[in-house]
Order: sequence, then structure tokens, then C-alpha cells
Amino acid sequence: MPSLFDKAWSPYVAGIVIGLLQIPAFLLIETALGASSSYVTVGGLLAALVDPSVTGIDYVARHIAATAKNWWQVALVVGVALGAFLSMKLSGAARQPISPIWARALGSPSPARRYAVAFAAGFLMLFGARIADGCTSGHGLSGVAQLAVGSTVAVAAMFAGGIAAAMLMLRRV
Amino acid sequence: MSLAFAILVGLLMGLVFGFALEKSRVFEPGVIVGQMQLRNFIMLKVFLTAVATGAVVLAALNGFGLVKLQPKAALYAADIVGGLILGVGIALAGACPGTTLAQIGVGYRDALFTLAGGLAGAVAYGYAQPALSKTFLASGAGKLVFTDLLGLPYWIGALTLAVVLVAILVSLEAWLPWREELGPDVDGDRPDAGARRAPPAHAVPAE
Repeated sequence: MPSLFDKAWSPYVAGIVIGLLQIPAFLLIETALGASSSYVTVGGLLAALVDPSVTGIDYVARHIAATAKNWWQVALVVGVALGAFLSMKLSGAARQPISPIWARALGSPSPARRYAVAFAAGFLMLFGARIADGCTSGHGLSGVAQLAVGSTVAVAAMFAGGIAAAMLMLRRV
Repeated sequence: MSLAFAILVGLLMGLVFGFALEKSRVFEPGVIVGQMQLRNFIMLKVFLTAVATGAVVLAALNGFGLVKLQPKAALYAADIVGGLILGVGIALAGACPGTTLAQIGVGYRDALFTLAGGLAGAVAYGYAQPALSKTFLASGAGKLVFTDLLGLPYWIGALTLAVVLVAILVSLEAWLPWREELGPDVDGDRPDAGARRAPPAHAVPAE
């Protein structure tokens, strides 16, 4: 039996747990599992502090509105951070501040270089996810399970882009 | 439904989600970059298992009329262009939008920069959206589901997908057992992974 104190679960146990989360998502919130629109909710509110006119853009206004779906997803991603922290503490795992793979993948141990790449990568990730209207969760987990044609195309493109970048821009990890 | 209830449900679901991401190691940069370099398949195993489980769950919930499906519209150009950019971001971040938060939870400092970049990217898209919505990126086919194209009920298609995915997972596991992929220290980071699969230099015959 997998225990909460284990250092690792089989990918199949973890995958089943994640897939079962569609039950409360659909029954209680009437939505599918997703993560990337929460970045528009939080980012939009932060941007409005500097530039109040951003709330005049309908797309931003829709995402920062105090609706159950918007704030459910923000709470979900906050919960992901808490859950990962809890799991790590219970298993007694400890990690370095930056994964050792980056020194190899980027060909440099410089934290500043890694931080710059991470920022640019985060930017691309969310700009792309918002163009596609979903990420690995919304299109991947939820869209493919719902047999959505567009989501299947988006997931194929994600892996194509990811494989190309990892092969061409990163060294072997 | 009240906002407070939605937030509470979100937090609880997120706790479970984050827990499973950490336990499976799928949030590790080494696992995600390893997947994209096709030398570690933990990410695909977790992903396909979650999709198959979700398909079975939704086949039941939708088949018994308890819930409506929520498929996103098929916007082919946006799905392809956005998906490609997102994929490049995932490889270079060693994370996706959800797992970035799991990385922050376990204390990876670079994930804070991924998050900041992500928020900036989402805001930049917010500013660009009115203009982008007038381009080719907004054209598409509406909410399209494979079983509708075939004239079948959703639950039949969903259960078929689950069966196919289980078959793929069984073969994947036979080829690469997950314990071997995680390594003895139960970490996705395997410094020896490349070395073990590639033939040692001295084994390559000289011309």
C-alpha cells in the first residue's frame, strides 16, 4: 500500500489520484481540472495595481472577476504548493535550492543564468498556454480525457515544442 | 455556490494534486526535461494514467447524466502555435504551469522566477489578446469532440480511450520499469542515465 510517508509512489498510483480529482472538479465546481488561467487572475490583479486601465480589457476583466471558477483555480495552485511541501516533509526528502540537472542542461552552474532562463521559460509557457487556451492540465489531463479535438492537437504541439527545445537548446541531463 | 466554498474545495484539491505530483516525482525538472529528451518516461506514465482515469470517471458521470462535458473550443491555429510555445517553455522551465507551484513548495528557488515569468507572460497576453483575437489565431471549429464526429455516445469513446491507454502503459512499464527510472535514491535526477544507455566511448569501434 502506498503510504503518505513514502519517498515515491508509482506513477500509476499518482496518476489515478490526479485523474480522480476530475470528480470534485466536475461535480462541485462544474469545470475541468486546469491551472494556467489562474496566472491571468493573479497577474491581472497585480498589473492593475500599476496600470488600472488593464481591467478595461474584457479578457482580463473576466479572469479577475470574483467568480467561483476563477478563485477555485487560484486556490488549487496554492494548494499544489502546500501539498508538495507537505509530501516532502512527511517523506523526509531534502532538495538543493536548484536541481543539479540545470548545471548540466545549461552547461553552467551559475544560478543567475538559471534564474534568467527560468523567467524567460515561464513567460513563454504562459504566453503560449493563453494563446492555446489551456496547458498540460486543461488541454492535457482534461481535454484529452473529454476527447476534445482541439485539446488533442494542442497536446501534440506541446510535446513537439518541448522535445525540439529540450533536444536543441538543452544538453543531455 | 459561495466563493468561500469554491476556495476551500480548490485548496483541498490542490493539496491532493501537489501531494501526488511530489510523490510521483513528475514535478522534478530532471523528470520533465528527461521526458522531453526521451530518456525518462515517468511524466508520460503519470500523464496517461491520469487521462485514462479521468476518461473512466467522466464516462460514468456523463453517461449517467450527472455532469455536462466542458470541452474547450477547437482553435487549430491557436492550439498549434500556443502549444508549440508552451512546449518550449515547459522544456526550458523543467515545469508546466501547475508543477511550477509544486517546485516552489519543495523549495526550488528558480521556480520563483518561472512563476514571475509566468505571471508576466499571462499579463502580456492579456494586453495582446484584443489584437490577437482579430487574427488567424481566433479561427476554429467550435467545441468538437471525437465521438460526436463518429456519431457515438461519449462514454463509449472514453472507455475505448482508457483501454488503449492502459495497453500503452502496460507496454511502457514492461519496457522501462518505473523503479528503475526513478533510481535508487528515488529521485528523477539520474546523472548516470545518459551514460548507462549510450555505449561507452571505448566500445565504439574505430573506423
